[in-house]
Amino acid sequence: MLHDFTFHRPGTLPEALALLDEHGYDARPFAGGTALVVLMKQSLALPEHLVSLDGIEGMSEIRLDGEALHIGALVRHRDVETSPLVREAAPLLAETYGRVATVRIRNMATVGGGLAHADPAQDPPAALIALGASVRAVSSRGARTIAVEDLFFDYYESALEPDEIIESVAVPRPAPDARSVYLKFLPRTEDDYATVAVAAVGEVDDGVCTDVRVALIAAAPTPVRATEVERTLTGQPVTAEAIREAAEAVRDHVDPLDDFRGSADYKREMAVVFTRRALERTLLAEDA
Amino acid sequence: MADYVEIGMPTPRVDGVAKVTGAARYVADQPIPGALSGALVHSTRSHARIVEIDTAEARALPGVHAVITGEDVGHYLYGRMIKDIPVLARGVVRYSGERVAAVAAETEEIARHAADLIEVTYEELPAVLDLDAALAPDAPVLHPDLNSYPGMRPLDEPSNAYRWTVDNRGDLDAGFAEADIIVEGVYETQRHHQAYLEPHASVVSFEDGRAHVWTNTKAPQNIRDDLAATVGISRDEIVLHHSHIGGDFGGKGTPMDLAVCYFLAQAAGRPVRMVADYIEEFMAGMPRHSTRTRLRTGVMRDGTIRAHHVQFFVNSGAYAGYKPAGVIGGAPRAAGPYHIPNTRIEAVHVYTNIVPGGHMRAPGSPQAVFALESHLDEVAGRLGMDPFEFRMRNLIDDGEETAWGQHFEHVRVKETLEAAADAAGYAEPRAPLVGRGIAIGDHGSGGGIGNAEVALEPGGRVVLGTAIFDQGSGTHTTLQQVVAEELRAPLHRIELQVWDTDGTVDDSGIGGSRASRVNTNVAYQAAQDARRKLVQLVAERLGEPEAAITLDGDEIRVEGREEVLRWPELLVEWEERVVGRAYIEDREPVRVTGFVAQVAEVEVDPETGELRVLGLTTAHDVGRVLNPVGHQGQINGGVVQGLGYALMEELAIEDGRVTTLSFGDYKIPTSFDIPELRTVLLESEDGVGPYAIKGIGETPNVPVAAAIANAVADAVGVRIADLPLTSEKVYRALADEASRSSRADAPESTE
Amino acid sequence: MRLTVNGQPVETNAPPGQLLIDLLRADLGLTGTKEACSVGVCGACTVLLDGRMVASCLALAAQAEGADVVTVEGLADDERLDPIQEAFLERGGLQCGICTPGQLVAARSLLNANPAPSEDDAKRWMMGNLCRCTGYYQILEAIAAASQGEA
Repeated sequence: MLHDFTFHRPGTLPEALALLDEHGYDARPFAGGTALVVLMKQSLALPEHLVSLDGIEGMSEIRLDGEALHIGALVRHRDVETSPLVREAAPLLAETYGRVATVRIRNMATVGGGLAHADPAQDPPAALIALGASVRAVSSRGARTIAVEDLFFDYYESALEPDEIIESVAVPRPAPDARSVYLKFLPRTEDDYATVAVAAVGEVDDGVCTDVRVALIAAAPTPVRATEVERTLTGQPVTAEAIREAAEAVRDHVDPLDDFRGSADYKREMAVVFTRRALERTLLAEDA
Repeated sequence: MADYVEIGMPTPRVDGVAKVTGAARYVADQPIPGALSGALVHSTRSHARIVEIDTAEARALPGVHAVITGEDVGHYLYGRMIKDIPVLARGVVRYSGERVAAVAAETEEIARHAADLIEVTYEELPAVLDLDAALAPDAPVLHPDLNSYPGMRPLDEPSNAYRWTVDNRGDLDAGFAEADIIVEGVYETQRHHQAYLEPHASVVSFEDGRAHVWTNTKAPQNIRDDLAATVGISRDEIVLHHSHIGGDFGGKGTPMDLAVCYFLAQAAGRPVRMVADYIEEFMAGMPRHSTRTRLRTGVMRDGTIRAHHVQFFVNSGAYAGYKPAGVIGGAPRAAGPYHIPNTRIEAVHVYTNIVPGGHMRAPGSPQAVFALESHLDEVAGRLGMDPFEFRMRNLIDDGEETAWGQHFEHVRVKETLEAAADAAGYAEPRAPLVGRGIAIGDHGSGGGIGNAEVALEPGGRVVLGTAIFDQGSGTHTTLQQVVAEELRAPLHRIELQVWDTDGTVDDSGIGGSRASRVNTNVAYQAAQDARRKLVQLVAERLGEPEAAITLDGDEIRVEGREEVLRWPELLVEWEERVVGRAYIEDREPVRVTGFVAQVAEVEVDPETGELRVLGLTTAHDVGRVLNPVGHQGQINGGVVQGLGYALMEELAIEDGRVTTLSFGDYKIPTSFDIPELRTVLLESEDGVGPYAIKGIGETPNVPVAAAIANAVADAVGVRIADLPLTSEKVYRALADEASRSSRADAPESTE
Repeated sequence: MRLTVNGQPVETNAPPGQLLIDLLRADLGLTGTKEACSVGVCGACTVLLDGRMVASCLALAAQAEGADVVTVEGLADDERLDPIQEAFLERGGLQCGICTPGQLVAARSLLNANPAPSEDDAKRWMMGNLCRCTGYYQILEAIAAASQGEA
């Protein structure tokens, strides 16, 4: 049994937003529950009102709209993983959502809830940032778009206001010849959080890197985009040496913590190794 | 080979249907009307004087029925051999996590809330959080009154090193003096949780003037006696009821919260149920001990070992009581089944201000074997010998005593090692960054007291009574097989009846691979007794001499009579039942052991230190296998538990506090993390008891860590001497090695 | 609120803070579902919610409103065991049994989703159900056997 709270089941998005507006910091939106229930069990979150988003129409869909995938905030991780649409348009995203925890958790956890939780060890932001995704955040005050790379402030702190929820995520469809990879370093068990993980999306034209985006999770207080690595490579001829040098720049982007998955120093070194490997996989042609 | 019908057959668990349908009840599932929930307050200090415990707010909380502290639980200390654990701390706390106060309330939430409202004021005392601190000359002594503890061997001067034993064989100094090479090493192991998935749980209810108890223990009679002594009543006033047990691995020997639960129920005047959560399990359980082993070995250039010195330091944690013998074994296994004429084995048990250790699967052996088998590879390396050849040169043959001075019968350790090496392709060429490592262990079946009853009921039911609470290892099923075998009755007619503690006075329960030696035998004897009594009954009723009567399954033939009688029908007709009973007290030392040899094959990623176990081969000297399904299950589970110990599992302790407080941080292998496993069984007629069997529950987890450490050294040339073998440790060792060799190269480059 | 548990309609007044596992175990007496880690990692509490496996220790009872819940007690059909239960029995897929209800529900949901899983599929799917006794080998054998029986 958790603490005593009021469980609201609004039927529509405006009703949900009105409830969040009314109760402010005393309320929390509730979707899959996998993160929030654990926090409540440990008395780390004791909201007086839970506003269930389940059952709100239109937030559980995945659709391809022109050049972007739109994923409703209530879509479960497992549904992103298995969606033929996502697999076709952005396989990196399906792959990354498929690496979150275990099937049972992916059946429960929602796309919006996972992002709002702002746990820097969560996998999806790596892929979302590398793909240039953004979220549509809504409140009774209106709607705004936030790039996923700007969504996170600190450990478990996002840019969302207490009355604001994520309605959907927009993921630009990568260029047809772009290659992508998600590398998750799991030296202990397959169901563990990553020691460090890297997503990369890159395009190469005639041996020159025309575009590359790299993002890491579990490496800093927030998911990070390795802009320095990207800058070093973009417009340059792709060589193993260039990639090796560029990957070194990731050191300046990461700021890991000591924990059971490795010391901060080790994680920093591994960030370099896995960034390099991710770049090799995306930028170096197999026959190179 | 004898002609068996049930022994050796793959047999589904007797409790299987109950378990796959969810009908099997564990302690937390027992329906106890009106039971309150208990909750504990744990110490937040490693070593402190308790100045005051303010329970006023907790008592005032609606729904709270009882609040107790160390002042309310009498003066008894509890423990299996050494009694040094207070039910709730009295005056002083000795580890972070120690039980300080407890609450019983209408619901679990109220109880936990009330526990949070209890304010404990501490005055910090200097703490000794590791072996070095505890052994320092000026270290504070954790247990100044230890000489007053029941079961403690008195010391001249109280010390944290509460037991320091030294066993000498031959002449150690002379052995080292003649040795060509002396190799030394220090090996460290971590605290390792049993990680059974069922947390500790207890229920106490007073009815008919007796305490009715449910608790997940595999030694119910002992625990009934221990509870009686702890709470100051006679054992007749307690009945401990059977529940299924959700995993043990050594951790369900002593219910840590049972006496608390008793006192809460007494204070509240209501039944109380306490179910630990997994934070409490990790924080205040009784994990496998962390150890430090110093080894010094003198060898001749031809590879024969002349002298071996073991110093086995066991970090006991704050109390000794969870160790069934007050100490753990293991130290002899740091000398091993090798022919070594001169040995000294020192075992040192040291109190520290951390969570007390208890028993876990082959207590002491995984630690000692990790040290010895790692060390032997280092010695072989110094000699330039292959580790396999080096071991074959020194392993004992049948008739020789081990390096700790024990004579086993039917020693087959060399054959076991050869079988493992053959099956693993040990000598095959290795790919780059791939290595193979070997390690050896053994474990004999311990003795003890066992009981069984076999009742032949009218109509043909056979009721097998046992005092054993099967903790998962499958003892009930093997007992069923034994009775089916001896009565030549189909398994489904053998109905298992698990007694509560009123069923018998003394019984050792499960532990130390005792079941295969004692319980199999006692079931066999009870079945034989039932047969004998059936023959007597038939003889008496028919007026025939017993010698004229033969039993064949259900059929009874009488010499000189044509007709074939059947006991199921005769017992109906006569309105009789026949009850066979047996009691065994087998205190003989272990004379037969079971050897295990393993080969691990690993691949190391030199950039990350990550190691992948490509394959594990485990060869066992098993005697006869009673139930191949259960037997293989013990091997599989043991090996994977050993894998977790080797690679990832560690109860992290920072500033004296356990910090891995959930299965999110304390990782155990999942189905995705298991290596390809090859099992080789060396069967023989060399086991113990009526079917010549050997225990299998403990050995599979023993050598895994050493085999993997040796494989890493073989693959990339670095020796990791402290567990677990994390990727980071391998990475650092490789980096150190690289900087060493670049320094070594430096003069050349300047030439 | 109303829901269906193992095919039976259930009406309950679950307080908002009640977890699904507590509704099942305490209110409905379905103690086959076990609680071990309490944080969604171990899988002992796995049940099917509208056909998908979830952690009942992390789900609010309220989330099951109007839903169809299946627990281990609902796998067998009128005393006839589900083939996955039979396979666990025959192949030694269980020992102490505490993780078994969750393993069985997870394995059932795997076979529902993928009647012929590869070994790799099974390992990935089942990695959310910890077992300390078996080392998983016989669980995976049981799943393979049940899948062959069904395929």
